[in-house]
Amino acid sequence: MIHIEQLRLKFPGAEKRLFTDVSLSIKKGEKVLLLGPSGCGKSTLLQVMAGIIPRSIDVPMKAKALHIPKQVGYVFQDPDAQFCMPYVDEEIAFVLENLGVPRAEMKEKIERVLQRVRLRLPHVHVPIQTLSGGMKQRLAIASVLALDPDVLFLDEPTALLDEEGTKAVWETLKEVADDRTVVIVEHKIDHILDFVERIILFNECGEMIADGPTDHIFSTYRSFIAEQGIWYPEVWEMYEKPKTAQQPYHPSDVLLHVQSLRGFRQKEEKITVDDVVIRAGEWIAVTGENGAGKSTLLQSFMKLIRTEGDMYWRGELVKNDGVLYDNIAFVFQNPEFQFVTNRVDDELAYCLRLEKRSEYEIEEEVERLLRRFHLSAQRHLHPYQLSMGQKRRLSVAASVTERHRILLLDEPTFGQDAKNTFALLEWLEAYRQQGKAIVMVTHDERIVSQFATRRWIIENGKLVADETIVPRTLVRGGI
Amino acid sequence: MRWSIEHKETWLHETNPTVKLLLFLPMFIVIVFVHNPNVLINWTIGFTALFMSFSGYRMKHMLLFFVPFFFIFISTSLSMILFGKGETTWFRFGLIHVTEESFYRGVHLGFRTLLFAIFGLMFALTTKPVFLFYSLMQQAKLKPKYAYSFLAAIRLLPIMLEEFQTVHQALKVRRAAKAKGFRGKLELIKRYAIPLLSQSIRRAQRIAVAMEAKGFTNERARTFYYELTLGKYDVYLFVVICMIVAMGYYVADAFPYVPIKDVR
Amino acid sequence: MQTKGLKLTDVLTTVVVAIVFGIVYKVWGPLYYAVKPLGLHLDQLIYGMWFIAATVAYLLIRKPGVALLAEVAAASGEFLAGSEWGLEVLFYGFVQGLLAELVFAAFRYKRFDVAVVSLAAVGSTIASLVVDFYKGYIDQLAWWNLTLFIGARFVGAIIIAGVFAYSLVKALEATGVTQLLRPTTKEDYDSLDK
Ligand SMILES: Nc1ncnc2c1ncn2[C@@H]1O[C@H](COP(=O)(O)OP(=O)(O)OP(=O)(O)O)[C@@H](O)[C@H]1O
Ligand SMILES: Nc1ncnc2c1ncn2[C@@H]1O[C@H](COP(=O)(O)OP(=O)(O)OP(=O)(O)O)[C@@H](O)[C@H]1O
Ligand SMILES: [Mg+2]
Ligand SMILES: [Mg+2]
Repeated sequence: MIHIEQLRLKFPGAEKRLFTDVSLSIKKGEKVLLLGPSGCGKSTLLQVMAGIIPRSIDVPMKAKALHIPKQVGYVFQDPDAQFCMPYVDEEIAFVLENLGVPRAEMKEKIERVLQRVRLRLPHVHVPIQTLSGGMKQRLAIASVLALDPDVLFLDEPTALLDEEGTKAVWETLKEVADDRTVVIVEHKIDHILDFVERIILFNECGEMIADGPTDHIFSTYRSFIAEQGIWYPEVWEMYEKPKTAQQPYHPSDVLLHVQSLRGFRQKEEKITVDDVVIRAGEWIAVTGENGAGKSTLLQSFMKLIRTEGDMYWRGELVKNDGVLYDNIAFVFQNPEFQFVTNRVDDELAYCLRLEKRSEYEIEEEVERLLRRFHLSAQRHLHPYQLSMGQKRRLSVAASVTERHRILLLDEPTFGQDAKNTFALLEWLEAYRQQGKAIVMVTHDERIVSQFATRRWIIENGKLVADETIVPRTLVRGGI
Repeated sequence: MRWSIEHKETWLHETNPTVKLLLFLPMFIVIVFVHNPNVLINWTIGFTALFMSFSGYRMKHMLLFFVPFFFIFISTSLSMILFGKGETTWFRFGLIHVTEESFYRGVHLGFRTLLFAIFGLMFALTTKPVFLFYSLMQQAKLKPKYAYSFLAAIRLLPIMLEEFQTVHQALKVRRAAKAKGFRGKLELIKRYAIPLLSQSIRRAQRIAVAMEAKGFTNERARTFYYELTLGKYDVYLFVVICMIVAMGYYVADAFPYVPIKDVR
Repeated sequence: MQTKGLKLTDVLTTVVVAIVFGIVYKVWGPLYYAVKPLGLHLDQLIYGMWFIAATVAYLLIRKPGVALLAEVAAASGEFLAGSEWGLEVLFYGFVQGLLAELVFAAFRYKRFDVAVVSLAAVGSTIASLVVDFYKGYIDQLAWWNLTLFIGARFVGAIIIAGVFAYSLVKALEATGVTQLLRPTTKEDYDSLDK
């Protein structure tokens, strides 16, 4: 079905080859997972297998033998970047037109694939823009199904979805996979372990380490997987978090006090908060479904959108937004918007330079950050050239500095491997220990229970719950 | 987008987009070679009437659409009126020299622009982009790769506007949204333009990749989800346009409003 | 998939970039007539913005046909966004793109420097003046006024659609995004074996 022999690939201008003589073959009907740390080349390899490289994306590569399937379906990570038509039915019709399906049969086929992925809509002529992230991903799967491909390629199709959406999308995918060949790239593998039968394991350098049945890989290569910092089922149980994490904390000074804050997009009110405070030394997890208004909430705190209501910074009414920018760091959901310079190391230095630190100090700090976030080898690249996880890390590392007292982070851990997730969380934890407050949007319950001291739940544009989390260690202790 | 404003569908919406384009575009050339302001005034009245009665939009909205055109009307007329050549002086002040000839020429220019604007508005408000490009593929044999590129780009428009806001926010947060001096301002424009452009290039790439992954090629014959044909409404439109054009000439000859027949 | 002419990625990228400029074109309209009544043709200095799609797209994609396509697409974008000038922008777009394209063709699509894009900007300016000549009776302006008018338009065009467009693309190249657009070189392939 797929057969690659001695694949070599190198991005133009890169120092090292990404792949050196990688060979693999995948038989018809197999369900395969590509596993490896962030930046090892999984997405790139998937694109080679699907024929996207070099047909649509021109990257220097060669292989002794390269057999790739003719009819492939590919689900991408970004739901917005895979549609070319404005309406649901037109998008699927586009695929049918490509196949030359007669017009008379289209209506029925469209209905059928939509039913297949359980995308229930009042009617088929719905603007794609009005769908939620999860619904868009289902539509993407539906249009792939319309192709009726022999092979399905999935590159982190659920990275941007909430727990519900993730589960539902994987369920749909399992249902429609049938006897098709499926190749998956995914970091969070809990939902798919019962589905994939074979795992191909990579190390940091893009070398193939192992290839075999799922159980075998997890039993034999357990320590390697842990070492490389890849997610595996018991990773959280194995993880020893820093002793300090979640020590029962003592409420200390109030940094930000928010009173009946309302945030607007265009003219619509999209978020309402009655009365909350953020104290130094807190770790607040913000949770809620896709589209509930989590990002909007953080943006209102920064006054990035139009808001009404009062905010007090350390007891004083905020009149000038500058106070907020000076004291609060903000990390956007989409990392690409955060970047203002042309190189990874300049990006890290940018905020430090604004603080007018000495060049020597800056250099040292940048080195430290590069090492901590595993970006040393990428330091000369443009931020946009990084892999998904690398971009995310950089955006966090680059926007937080000493001067900030509150860190607002919008899903800082999505698309990240285990090693980097923990590195990031511990780094944040260290900041919290220094008396900074952390407000973090996340879909990961584990992070909430292990690190957070408080949780805000957002539902339909309202902050509906503000609860203190009882540290787990204390629960075990029998309180 | 404009076509998402609430409206009724009239026979103008039913006409074939390619036909509509082929009828409207040549009007541009025709209008350019008319030098008699009387004719232009009549046409403006005629086509405005057609637009007002059959576009299917509410009067309130239509008047709103017209607001910018009055600015254009005034600004195009004005520089010709104030600085144009002419014999019969009406007024002179420094460099400003208003003559009878330049005045009528200016007004003529104003009406010209107004007419173009009405055709543009009429077309834009009664044509869905999707139908336009499907029709261009079917009636004008436009290559699918062009048609779908346009459709994809139109779909991206609102997403790009959103991105603009986000870039603005990101720069504000990182204290990079302001700059001093000319060089700083240029740097600032780039700070906005670069992420937006590179992001749209990446998006375009991804969408092109996704389209090809969905089996899009230029080679295979394709079928169409929407089939657009010619119909009786296209004939109506043709007849109506001819009538307005002819009436305009006749009335201009029989009952002229201004004494000048050629503004050159 | 090496078909002749532009590939889907080329076309799509060109059109998308052009439509971004189409929005700029649309926004430029009100700006243009806001400075217009000043009379001394300060407005002409910013006219060059309406040529920028052709030069930027050409510098990005570096293939025949791109300049023309970009200018037409940008004009369509401007039109669809509700241009004050209506359908006439399509005509302008077409002729401006065409002349820019001819300039690039005259250099056999081998040069990508400031000089050649500035020349293309001059080409577009000439095209726009020709249409203006028929449409706007510009020859009927007083001679001093006409000179100012034409001079300002040329200067503005060279600055905006030539020099500025060039520096914009240089900055874009630094982001590595253009790598996606350009064909890979033989050296890149050779380095696979090292
Ligand atoms: N255009 C480019 N130029 C140079 N290097 C690049 C380019 N694109 C990607 N890379 C590098 O190639 C490597 C592999 O990227 P890829 O996106 O395949 O990683 P990945 O395994 O999918 O990672 P993640 O899990 O974080 O998504 C990364 O280290 C990245 O920095
Ligand atoms: N730029 C925007 N303009 C208009 N509406 C928006 C915009 N961004 C988000 N919305 C709407 O605001 C609501 C809240 O969106 P928000 O992005 O805050 O959700 P979220 O909780 O962060 O979701 P996710 O988990 O998908 O990131 C949604 O209904 C969304 O459609
Ligand atoms: Mg990846
Ligand atoms: Mg969000």
